[in-house]
Amino acid sequence: MQIKPILAALRRHKSGTILIALQIALTLAIVCNALFIIEQRVSRLSRTTGMDETNVIAIANRYVGPGTSFTPTVKTDLAAIRNLAGVEDAYATNSYPLRNGGWSMGVRLKPDAKKEITSTTLYFIDDHALKTLGVKLIEGRNFNAGEVISLDPRNSTSLPQVIITKALAQKLFEDGKALGKTIYLSQEGKPSTVIGVVEKLQVPWVGTWAGKFDQNAAMLPAILDSNYQNFVVRTRPGQQEAMLKALPKTLYATSRMRVIPEETGIRTFEQVRARAYETDRGMAILMGIVCAVLLAITAAGIVGLSSFWVGQRRKQIGVRRALGATKNDILSYFMTENFLIALGGVIVGSLLAVGMNQWLFTRFEMERLSLTYVAVGVVALLALGQAAVLAPALRASRVSPVEATRTV
Amino acid sequence: MLKMTHLAKVYRTEVVETYALRDFNINVKEGEFVAVTGPSGSGKTTFLTIAGLLETFTGGEYHLDGVEVSKLDDNARSRIRNEKIGFIFQAFNLIPDLNVFDNVEVPLRYRGMKSAERKQRIMDALERVGLASRAKHYPAELSGGQQQRVAIARALAGSPRLLLADEPTGNLDTQMARSVLELLEEIHREGATIVMVTHDPELAARAQRNVHVIDGQVVDLAEDPRFHANAHLVGANS
Repeated sequence: MQIKPILAALRRHKSGTILIALQIALTLAIVCNALFIIEQRVSRLSRTTGMDETNVIAIANRYVGPGTSFTPTVKTDLAAIRNLAGVEDAYATNSYPLRNGGWSMGVRLKPDAKKEITSTTLYFIDDHALKTLGVKLIEGRNFNAGEVISLDPRNSTSLPQVIITKALAQKLFEDGKALGKTIYLSQEGKPSTVIGVVEKLQVPWVGTWAGKFDQNAAMLPAILDSNYQNFVVRTRPGQQEAMLKALPKTLYATSRMRVIPEETGIRTFEQVRARAYETDRGMAILMGIVCAVLLAITAAGIVGLSSFWVGQRRKQIGVRRALGATKNDILSYFMTENFLIALGGVIVGSLLAVGMNQWLFTRFEMERLSLTYVAVGVVALLALGQAAVLAPALRASRVSPVEATRTV
Repeated sequence: MLKMTHLAKVYRTEVVETYALRDFNINVKEGEFVAVTGPSGSGKTTFLTIAGLLETFTGGEYHLDGVEVSKLDDNARSRIRNEKIGFIFQAFNLIPDLNVFDNVEVPLRYRGMKSAERKQRIMDALERVGLASRAKHYPAELSGGQQQRVAIARALAGSPRLLLADEPTGNLDTQMARSVLELLEEIHREGATIVMVTHDPELAARAQRNVHVIDGQVVDLAEDPRFHANAHLVGANS
């Protein structure tokens, strides 16, 4: 319809046209990648750990003072904790999901295999852990108390029994059946037999690097003989607040030779989760603000330029009306003009978006941008352009045809 | 073709009412070439804008080609402007961003005409005004006279029943004005109805009929004392 004369007119206003198209292109490129980052971060936030996270408290504890073995103290502490009326169960461990610190290890199916099949985190736990975490055992059995040993972390981490997650089982064995099979968790070639499989348990890390094995967990029956211990406690329903106060008191009553950091020492699992995803949440919010600001600036740019052009072309609009243009013709002229500029912008912007992602992919190990984001961005920016130009275009359509006869 | 009866146009503000036209009566027959003359501020241009459906009026009746236009909505008025009326403005009013071809094409596009027919009409109209070779030129690359010829081509391309010209030679030198006027006369001879607003007596004299407007009304010069008073003053000064 009016496309040819509009393009002809735009060629006479190159600078304004190119600037606004470029602004749209840059906005699209940045917004697409920012939305992609937001989506990644939000999907991370919504991952489940495999635990029943309510009523769980995590305690970071460091024993101080002389001592050659910490395992007896750990056992005394655990007994004191489990004796509390508000506590359902508890265990000591090197780490737990979302702690953002722990052990990872390559897993092999043959002792002499040079290449590991996948990576896993190692959780040293006892027979109370599955109940405390609320993890669902789907195959095999739990550890029994007799299997739980005291382990010097400087020695081999391989133990005869291991419980693994279903995700790890599926990565190790084609049919996913791991029960009773042997895996190797260290390079010393000591085998561990899978005695149980749990449905799901997340690794301690939430970052991108752990993304490839974030559900791979191997649980070994041991108390690490270390001055650093984490206690994970499941409280009885409604007892969490009381236990938050009672637990440090109980531990200090058992022995004062310890440090429980004031703010990070004793936390509910909600706090653990909030802290673990603090950066992701912050990044998602920041990217959201960047998107909103960019879109607002682009919309304002379109409104500004369109308003300027409408003001500049009042006489021309009047002439068009005098020559038979209806209000709708004028409205559609400005909407089409904006659409064509925005179309040019989004074509360039799509290429920029993919290019920018390629750069982020190589420099920051970001994932490949899904083209759905580009498609959604294109539609969103075209719609934004049309929405932004609507008010100036409506103003243009209201210009009276008598304007054609005005000399000033 | 064009008949206004007791037509009035009032501009109202909170404190004052200004009559641009009052009890304005005119009847232009098909095929006539009428010049509307009058001093500045007399209402000539207001008449033309109402005649061309660029503006609404406050009272009275206006029949254009047998249609009472006061009841028409904006779209219908646009359609009539597009199909029945051709405009020639004093300032040419070409669109500077479009070349000559595209300028002449503007009203034809609004008519929804097919591309081949548009092209034929545009080239015919440009041939007629002697500017076919300038089709790809932009208005800024043409002289004033050439621009006005393009404006006339734009008005003619749609084959209007009525041609309205507002001081068509006002911005042209004598030679260019003469050639534009000759073109208008030629168009009239071919059957077009032309209403031309001008305050140039020489130009008005070339029309078939002159209508004089003073203070928003059509007056018979022979009976208007204001004309005699002015004539007396002119005579006394000369």
